[in-house]
Amino acid sequence: MYRIRLHGRGGQGIKTASQILGTAAFYSGYQAQDFPLYGAERRGAPIVAFTRISEKPVLERGPISSPDIILVGDETLLDDPQAAPLCGADESTAVFINSTLETSVLQQQLHLSSSLLKLNLTELCIQHLNKGTVLSTALAAAGARLVGMITLEALLKAVDAELSQQGIGSIQENLNLTKEIFQNLFPVVLKPRKEKTISPSEIILMEQANIEEAAPIILSPGNMILRKTGNWRVQRPEIDYEHCNHCLICYARCPDGAISLGPDDKPEIDYDHCKGCLICAQECPGHFINTVREAGVES
Amino acid sequence: MTALAGKYKKLKDLHPEEAITPGTGLCAGCGGLDGLRLALKELGENVLICNAAGCFTLLSVYPFTPLKGSWLYTTMGAPVPAAQGVRDALDIRLQHRELPDKEDLLVMTVAGDGSSNDIGLGATSAALHRNLDFIYFCYDNEAYGNTGFQLSAASPYGSATQTAPNTEFHPAGTEFFKKDLFEIWKAQKPTYIATVSPREPIDLSNKFAKAKTMSGSRMFICMSPCPTGWGFDPKESDLIAKLAVDTGMFPIKEYFEGQVTHTKRPQRRLPVEKFLQRQKRFRHLFEPECRHDIIENIQSHVDEYWSHYE
Ligand SMILES: Cc1ncc(C[n+]2csc(CCOP(=O)(O)OP(=O)(O)O)c2C)c(N)n1
Ligand code: SF4
Ligand code: SF4
Ligand code: SF4
Repeated sequence: MYRIRLHGRGGQGIKTASQILGTAAFYSGYQAQDFPLYGAERRGAPIVAFTRISEKPVLERGPISSPDIILVGDETLLDDPQAAPLCGADESTAVFINSTLETSVLQQQLHLSSSLLKLNLTELCIQHLNKGTVLSTALAAAGARLVGMITLEALLKAVDAELSQQGIGSIQENLNLTKEIFQNLFPVVLKPRKEKTISPSEIILMEQANIEEAAPIILSPGNMILRKTGNWRVQRPEIDYEHCNHCLICYARCPDGAISLGPDDKPEIDYDHCKGCLICAQECPGHFINTVREAGVES
Repeated sequence: MTALAGKYKKLKDLHPEEAITPGTGLCAGCGGLDGLRLALKELGENVLICNAAGCFTLLSVYPFTPLKGSWLYTTMGAPVPAAQGVRDALDIRLQHRELPDKEDLLVMTVAGDGSSNDIGLGATSAALHRNLDFIYFCYDNEAYGNTGFQLSAASPYGSATQTAPNTEFHPAGTEFFKKDLFEIWKAQKPTYIATVSPREPIDLSNKFAKAKTMSGSRMFICMSPCPTGWGFDPKESDLIAKLAVDTGMFPIKEYFEGQVTHTKRPQRRLPVEKFLQRQKRFRHLFEPECRHDIIENIQSHVDEYWSHYE
């Protein structure tokens, strides 16, 4: 069985990528299982999806903790401890990263024992689809090629089927993108992984608790601030203080209240929480808020 | 009867405190969240929100809450009955159980358009009949957002939703015009009704500042551009909100003592296409061919509305 884990953000088409991959494997004569996992969060929050591919019926369930292939669609997640896309990677794992950086640079920064591959999918998406924000086809194509036994024909059929079903246009552009990625990558040789035997865990008996203890009552007002949403950001807004005239429009428009006012009404962005919607940059009348692509791995 | 004067003129006048912290799980660029944030800046911390199941239920996810005030989660149909119960309990304790006045809370309902227009409307009507002393905040993202954007009675004619997609037999997608919740509420003559937009923070803040000084039922509809459901880049949330007002599709107004006043009139109304063409939910009106007939129906509907006021 091949276990593939895909990482990205809500809105980037990670779930669809896992579906295309599963369908392509199915069209190549394999059994497949695919599903996403996300919390209550919305677009922008880290999400993970899984595809299992096997010659025999897939009876295994649940998230994949020891993946054969990891596909990272969004490199800004690499140093995010909550998303932890490289978790569970070992010398038998192949890690693919959508990145602008060279493989050697990535390898140096990530210290992986796994084999590492990269391709700038965002750039290819921009070339073919005119936008780099939706990675469903690109990530699926990369995964399908790396896993090896999926044919280009089956992959193209799966892209067509999944995108048509979701009413997504520009099918031909997506097929061209698929071909290019397929031709740019090569199957990885996956080192065989010892199948783990899973023993049943002990049953935990739940006892009736008092209502004061059992009811989900929150007694700490405003504690949501402890949760950081800064890792949702793909682009970072940066205020050009030399020109900012303190008109406060950005402060009024930020839905998350991530812009506060310092002395002299100086707007200050809280990067721990700014989700990178870029409303502030769009709305600043003098265009005094620049947007910078978040660098993935810190050097 | 003159419209109530507003106390705020500039953004600098907005209440400096935030009553809602960042860190919530709502989408980046959620227009409704900015609306609620600005409203709560004005209403402050002594507020108890009764929330109907919907997107904004994600605000408070155990064990975290972004609110400085209180929050009670209810079913989709019951945020107003919950508000009635809380109000009654507070009143009884204030009158008979020596609860100090400073412990009193402003009771508020926060509900989506689905809850407000559909399953919750009967209970709201009952509460308006009793002139329940509360503030109602309906964030109108024009569909059932939390469950994946299905049709609500507030989905506008011509928009595609999950349950009203554009098909051969239903070329418009949504076949009916948006329910006029403002007029439905108005028929019961509550103390105050207003529509607000996050793009108009001063107008919004003035309306909440006024409502705060009143008693009885004070009803708000907040236009809530929804990048996820409407299909636009999150950074365009406020641009979309502005176009909704400039095309006349979302009138900004208030009702007080029998009088309706438009507080932000579009100077010269833009054609509705300007608003429609930026959103994926209306794309079928432009591609593969332009559906002038459907767009014309939308325009006439807007023109008809304004013919009473222009
Ligand atoms: C009676 C009932 N039916 C269905 C649901 C499932 N449900 C939860 S939230 C939601 C959507 C609510 O839509 P709306 O009120 O417009 O708020 P939004 O999600 O758009 O914020 C639905 C259908 C429910 N909670 N209760
Ligand atoms: S990008 Fe700007 S408006 Fe959006 S969350 Fe960050 S600070 Fe707020
Ligand atoms: S909108 Fe622009 S000019 Fe105005 S306060 Fe913000 S950064 Fe400064
Ligand atoms: S789906 Fe729309 S209304 Fe709901 S949280 Fe996201 S942007 Fe806001």
